[in-house]
Amino acid sequence: MALELPALYPPPPAPGAPAAARYELDSPCLAWTDQAVLLAEFARSRELAPLQPPGGGAGLISPRQLLALLEGLRAEGGPDAAFVIGRHWLPGHYGLPSQALQEAPDLLTALQLLCRHAGRLCPLLTPRLLLDEQELVLVWTEACGLPPGLRGFVVDLHMSAVSALADWLGGQALPWRYSFNRTAPRDLAQHMVHLQAGEPGRLRFGCQADAMRLPLEAARRPWPTRPGRAAAALAAGADTGSQARGLIAALHDRLLPALDRAPALDELAAELGMSPATLKRRLAQHGTHYQAELDQLRALMALYLLHLRGQPNEAVAQALGFFDSANFRRFFKRWTGLLPSALAR
Amino acid sequence: MAAMPLLDRLRAGLFPHRAPLPALAPVLGLRHFGHGLLLLAALLMLPFALLGTPRPLAQWRWMDVLGEGGTCLMLMIWLGYLRASRPAGPVSDRLCLGLAGMLLGGYVDLLDEFWVLPKAMVWDNWLESGLPLLGMMLLTWGLHLWRQEQLALARQLGARERLFRDHRRIDTLTQLGDAAYMATQIALERQAGRGGHLAMLAWPGFETAVARPLGLAAADQLLRNAGSLLALHLAPGELLCRYAGDRFVLLLPGQQGGAARARAEALRRVLQDWSQGPALAPRLAGLDLAPDDRLAPEQRLQQLASGLHGA
Repeated sequence: MALELPALYPPPPAPGAPAAARYELDSPCLAWTDQAVLLAEFARSRELAPLQPPGGGAGLISPRQLLALLEGLRAEGGPDAAFVIGRHWLPGHYGLPSQALQEAPDLLTALQLLCRHAGRLCPLLTPRLLLDEQELVLVWTEACGLPPGLRGFVVDLHMSAVSALADWLGGQALPWRYSFNRTAPRDLAQHMVHLQAGEPGRLRFGCQADAMRLPLEAARRPWPTRPGRAAAALAAGADTGSQARGLIAALHDRLLPALDRAPALDELAAELGMSPATLKRRLAQHGTHYQAELDQLRALMALYLLHLRGQPNEAVAQALGFFDSANFRRFFKRWTGLLPSALAR
Repeated sequence: MAAMPLLDRLRAGLFPHRAPLPALAPVLGLRHFGHGLLLLAALLMLPFALLGTPRPLAQWRWMDVLGEGGTCLMLMIWLGYLRASRPAGPVSDRLCLGLAGMLLGGYVDLLDEFWVLPKAMVWDNWLESGLPLLGMMLLTWGLHLWRQEQLALARQLGARERLFRDHRRIDTLTQLGDAAYMATQIALERQAGRGGHLAMLAWPGFETAVARPLGLAAADQLLRNAGSLLALHLAPGELLCRYAGDRFVLLLPGQQGGAARARAEALRRVLQDWSQGPALAPRLAGLDLAPDDRLAPEQRLQQLASGLHGA
């Protein structure tokens, strides 16, 4: 029973290609002049305590330090902080990738650039694009770990960033549908207005994934942007650092293309160039472990195939490497609390 | 002169992360009202120590010491809170003097527990009974004035607050109520059995036309000014809140149908004719509120927001 898996962005690297750089929660890999400067400007505009670069300015900060800045703004910046910051997050002023976004001919190309150059454009959450014939789904996945209390804020920020980028470059609001992997807030006013949701039905809370969906036809509509050479320069290998992946994102990159043939932990550690014990310790430092990540990816892909693509149980079980569909049903129930049969398209 | 910095340094060393104390309002123009009270308390202790005989420890009534001491302590805390939260003025003066009178009366009562004065002396009884009464009278006077002050303030707040106060529901940017405050107000109107009209104002394309080119601070300033401008044009009883982003929401209680829509349209014209405003035509959406409406107020607001979408 052959099953057509969705086209995935970023696509798996070609065999033999050099691996992209990896960063972890405490790697000093983000320029203060990228996202942190935007946060400092927001703090200034809201008359909050000024944000100072650690160590005097020119240095690099770690994702953990950037998250700490965001935590301060979440507490003090007002109820719309995530959305207002998000609106200015993209295309941003992060060098070639930002330039390439501004020159993108349509939303689909822009999203593909965003997924490929996430290391520069959105280092805190890794976007992944699933495409089928009618629809695109942009799923926000872990990059290098997030404190649970900040997750909703960071997700809102990134969704607002993408939706505002599309509004601005495309010149019109698009019919996005949003899913949030958390309970609904008491008041939907901020989400309604800042995400241009239009009607409350376009915002769904209590879902299994943080994702945005859009009809493909809307994403292919040409944008009135001016073409340029940034994307070509990136494709030719300029600014390779922009393709850096967070540790968890790198793990997902390895697992996603072949969920039915998931490697053992030892094998994976060898591929990533570390000992199994080190890999376990690193993952624990990012608040997770190997089996949890594998299960989560399987559950997400199963949800996508069953719910959005309406594939039969048996085919999904086979595509995800389960022994039989009974096994798959048990797994799915444990992970999502639902039976696969409960998900009609 | 060098003593103060030393003291400050010591304090900073002992409590590195302590927030600075709030500024206390002067009472009767005296910035050191608190120190004056302490001095007065010390002076009151003097005749007790000189003329009275100390009570032996065995005769202390611990219940009274705790009760009266605790009362004094609480009155001190109240006084501190009052001065920290109110601006100086005649109302604050009376409230603070009232509390100070009660505090000193209680304090004399407390000193009684530690010293026995000769029976012939009656002044301590006078102080003990007279000061609290005097204090309470001053406090009552202050409360009466406070009510009048509150009525004046309510007139001043006008379009920003009606009948119900919740400081957690104030939008920090525009100082208007937020969406949740408006929802509370709609619920209050329903309880009172009144209908009304709800209108929402927005600039379609505000984000791309204003927020992106002008930047964060300028967009915030524009929204703040728009809020103030709209508030200036409201009639008594009407309420303006900030829903989110560039959307303002208006409650016109007791008005419905064409008249209410005309009123909302007049306010839209105010935004449109605003010379410093964004070069965009503001849009308006409105709906009538029935007193027996079953839909949750939040959902009514969402419905209104949907009506503005796609513009």
